[in-house]
Amino acid sequence: MPDSIERCLESAAPPFCFGQILIRKTNAGHFILIHRDDEPQKNLEIFQNPDDAIEIAKYDDAGNYRPLKTAPNLRHGWRLELADLEELRRALDYFYPGRLAVFAAWKGGELKTTPLRGTLDRQSGMYRVAAKISDAQINDLVANFCRSNGGCLRTILWKRDRGGGIASTKLPKEKFDPGIDQIQALERPESPPPATTPVAATIPLLCQEACNLLIAECRKVVKGK
Amino acid sequence: MSFNKESALLIVAHGSTVNPDSSAPTLAHAAKIRRRKIFAEVGCAFWKEEPSLRDAIFLFDPKSICEVCVVPNFISEGYFTQTVVPRELDLNGRITKRPNGQIWKYCEPVGSDPRMTDLLLQRAREIAPGVPEAETSLLIVAHGTDLNENSAVAAKREAEKIRALGKYAEVLNVYMEEPPLVSDWRKLTMSRNVVVVPFFISDGLHSYEDIPRLLGITVAAGVDRGRPGSPPPATALGEIFRRNPYKIGDRLLFYAPSIGTDPGFADIIIEQALAAKS
Repeated sequence: MPDSIERCLESAAPPFCFGQILIRKTNAGHFILIHRDDEPQKNLEIFQNPDDAIEIAKYDDAGNYRPLKTAPNLRHGWRLELADLEELRRALDYFYPGRLAVFAAWKGGELKTTPLRGTLDRQSGMYRVAAKISDAQINDLVANFCRSNGGCLRTILWKRDRGGGIASTKLPKEKFDPGIDQIQALERPESPPPATTPVAATIPLLCQEACNLLIAECRKVVKGK
Repeated sequence: MSFNKESALLIVAHGSTVNPDSSAPTLAHAAKIRRRKIFAEVGCAFWKEEPSLRDAIFLFDPKSICEVCVVPNFISEGYFTQTVVPRELDLNGRITKRPNGQIWKYCEPVGSDPRMTDLLLQRAREIAPGVPEAETSLLIVAHGTDLNENSAVAAKREAEKIRALGKYAEVLNVYMEEPPLVSDWRKLTMSRNVVVVPFFISDGLHSYEDIPRLLGITVAAGVDRGRPGSPPPATALGEIFRRNPYKIGDRLLFYAPSIGTDPGFADIIIEQALAAKS
């Protein structure tokens, strides 16, 4: 019996996008993955093992390590050919670790979000001090660190605090809408696609809780680094 | 060996925002275990990488997975296994029942498994094939600061167990940041042959650069960073382990990759999960 992730992938009729990846299905039922900026006809380096996604996702075009896989810096020039749904699932989980499961939980109404203040208050050790960050500092930091243009392609679902404060008033409203393709929103800032854009065309990279990188940045702000 | 089809394995590890090789052994062990089809699903989660420990709460569909065995890929019990992992995964003891019905079992870290001793011995033999153990000093390198106190304890325990076997001329614990220092290896050892095994979960800055520098083999291996400011030589990572032995004076030094890169870790991870089930 397919689980919730497989059901999500099955229902996302190819071609569809997942972050910076375009997924197509061949007549034979195989899957072809490329960077969505790359032309399919281009002379791309061909890979055929889902585990190859680990290395493709590890470094950006300049050869720098990518600590945040949802940063908009996936390298170009590759084509990953996969045999079946199981391989597709594994590869996508290497490209964007955990994001499919979070999407499936969201689709099933099971996703629990955690406010940033909750995440900060939970920290211990060297990160405990991060909770001292002010609301104004959070507003600026999240606007810069999490922005889709150069920061992170995730759609923010978490609030700043239990009172429901928005994570950053300086980010466009599309940044918080799972129905919006973050990359399309970047390309057409003047006329973002309507919120009714079918989710099946793009599986959003959902962010249910602030990542450790953002917490580390909060610490830096508090420490004045 | 098989679990029922409703059991998942979650391997949790530290990961790194700067070291591309930090998560590699954990991912490799997971892939190896996945191929053996013992568990319905095998996932990984990291403190410093993705998926995060918090993401891991959603990794397994409660409609198909009833039980999740969490195995920490850490060298010892300590701050991360006792504080960070349980807190981030919302675990409240060895066994946690989620509101969705899933049972999460928190297992012992891999470094606590008694088979770690065999892995260390095997790695030492592999890095110095044919070298008589009775004419060899074995050094087990740990970090050695207050923060990593438990890893130092685990390294001492392993050294004592290997020493008790009486195979090697000497078995010593050495540390990067406290005495006995790895940089004093010439003074600390008597044997002509010296085998050095880093007691770390993955290779990275410590095993690629710091320990070689302390041993005095960095330049000899040709993995020096070169001019100041130049990036680390990505193609040379791991080269330091392929230039054995290093002839330094009248000594022969054999330098091994971190113990956590040993494929045998996959078996230990499975055993730790099995132990939690019984």
